[in-house]
Amino acid sequence: MGKFWKEFAKGIVISNPLFVLALGFCPALAVSTSVDNAIGMSAGVLFVLLGSNLLVSAIRKAVPNIVRIPVFIVIIATFVTVVNLVFHAYVPALYESLGIYLPLIVVNCIILGRAEAFASKNPITSSIADALGVSIGFFLALLIISFLRETLGTGSLSVFGAKLFTLPVLGKDPMILFILPPGAFLIMALLLALFRKIGVMKCE
Amino acid sequence: MKLKALKGVFPIIFITVIVFASVGLITWTDSVTADKIEYQKEQEIKSMLREMFPSMSQYTFEDDIYTIYTDGVEVGYAFLAVGKGYGGDIDILVGLEDETTIKAVTIISQSETPGLGSRIAESSFAAEFTGVNIDDVSLKQDGGQVDAITGATISSRAVIEAVRTTAMEKVKSLKERK
Amino acid sequence: MSNLIAIFLSLAIINNFIVSKFLGLCPFFGVSKKLGNAVSMGVAVTLVMLIASLATWIINHYILIPFGVEYMNIIMYILVIASLVQMIELFIKRTNLTLYNALGIYLPLITTNCAVLGITLINAQESYSLIESMVAALGGGIGFTLVLIIMSGIREKLEIADTPRSMKGLPVAMLVGMLLGLTFFGFGGIV
Repeated sequence: MGKFWKEFAKGIVISNPLFVLALGFCPALAVSTSVDNAIGMSAGVLFVLLGSNLLVSAIRKAVPNIVRIPVFIVIIATFVTVVNLVFHAYVPALYESLGIYLPLIVVNCIILGRAEAFASKNPITSSIADALGVSIGFFLALLIISFLRETLGTGSLSVFGAKLFTLPVLGKDPMILFILPPGAFLIMALLLALFRKIGVMKCE
Repeated sequence: MKLKALKGVFPIIFITVIVFASVGLITWTDSVTADKIEYQKEQEIKSMLREMFPSMSQYTFEDDIYTIYTDGVEVGYAFLAVGKGYGGDIDILVGLEDETTIKAVTIISQSETPGLGSRIAESSFAAEFTGVNIDDVSLKQDGGQVDAITGATISSRAVIEAVRTTAMEKVKSLKERK
Repeated sequence: MSNLIAIFLSLAIINNFIVSKFLGLCPFFGVSKKLGNAVSMGVAVTLVMLIASLATWIINHYILIPFGVEYMNIIMYILVIASLVQMIELFIKRTNLTLYNALGIYLPLITTNCAVLGITLINAQESYSLIESMVAALGGGIGFTLVLIIMSGIREKLEIADTPRSMKGLPVAMLVGMLLGLTFFGFGGIV
């Protein structure tokens, strides 16, 4: 049981997909314009990662080496399609908001990376722990980024329709840069530098 | 001999099984969700139409034009228009009181610059179109009746152009119907 | 025609794949100082985008839509792209070994390049015609290559600049991305 939590914790800090492994930027930066999107995207990633890690780990002894990668891709694409359809049906507003970035989870290096590097070589329980840890790590990273972008860029924070707070000065005149694409680069650069400075990550 | 042949073919069998399983799962998910998706779409249109025509009791859809009825009486029309905005397509729902006057305009979706062009989604801009004659739908500086949003002329113009041209188009086909 | 120009300019510059849509970031951060490699990578990705757009448009219009199975698009697109990249990899290996070695790991990585799957999804979402899809792919690819080329030049200067230790490498590359994005943003009024 201790092993489970070890793998789980790894995904959050040491192997944090965004800040440490530097994987999966494409969808992350694009959807970090609001906290709602961050939550939705993380939910999608969680489901896909859980499903693919589980299945890949389950069949890892039976998969012939030649067809390994295509099999992984088909499995991941299947789960992504399922998530896409489910979101479209049950959370249409979120689905519209995430746009093409939801299906793009299929080429998110995180998912294929974990399948290849971990799930195909480890038993099912560890793979589940890994999936949960990495997803939560992804979610936390995305939460920080989108929190900063939304509060600085719009002056207020709303989660699923409920307005949490409005900042005093920025509420009237927010720094739009942060909600625009270049703002994502800026926040990401500063956060990466910060995490390196305080020692969480290694410098180059 | 037999075993060797099986070994060679096994990868293909394996991936075929996986593909079939995947296709099966996806098809099943689609059958479960397809109805919900259709329903959502309908509900969305219905609620937008109802907001525009509070007295609406039913509507029909023909040739891309919604005809709105209140207890059997025709009270207006509505249709979708698409404007070419700064950041992409702007989806607009246009409501007509009759064949000459705009009842209301609702911005369904847009991806304009936040804080500038995105203000076309504000009710103050939509209010500019209410009760305006279709021919007068253009910027005040172009001789029309609609005020552009300060600092968002391109986005404002995109909406105006789309509303006017599509309205003229739809009115033409309405007249041809009769 | 003006429609095609608008699509091209929009995807190449205003809504540039890398600095605006965040598609294709992996090669952007990994691009070397060598201009030649940046160009090769850009051209390779553009080529894959073009062929993938063609193939997926055909699949869309002759298989997915007629049979009402649009929901199979993700799985079909990615399989097409994976096969395409595999074929191109073999082709380059046979015809130009130096190029093959220069591109190294980045060549098979084109499969997971968000830009390639991205353009096919954009084409489907906007319901572009065949010509529009090809123009969109061309625009997106050229924009992608353009940013890669600019980045390779800047990378050269960055190597010898006195960057703070925590900013070295990825963070400062992100800042460059920000500046490029802001610059391209200014072109918004053309179309």
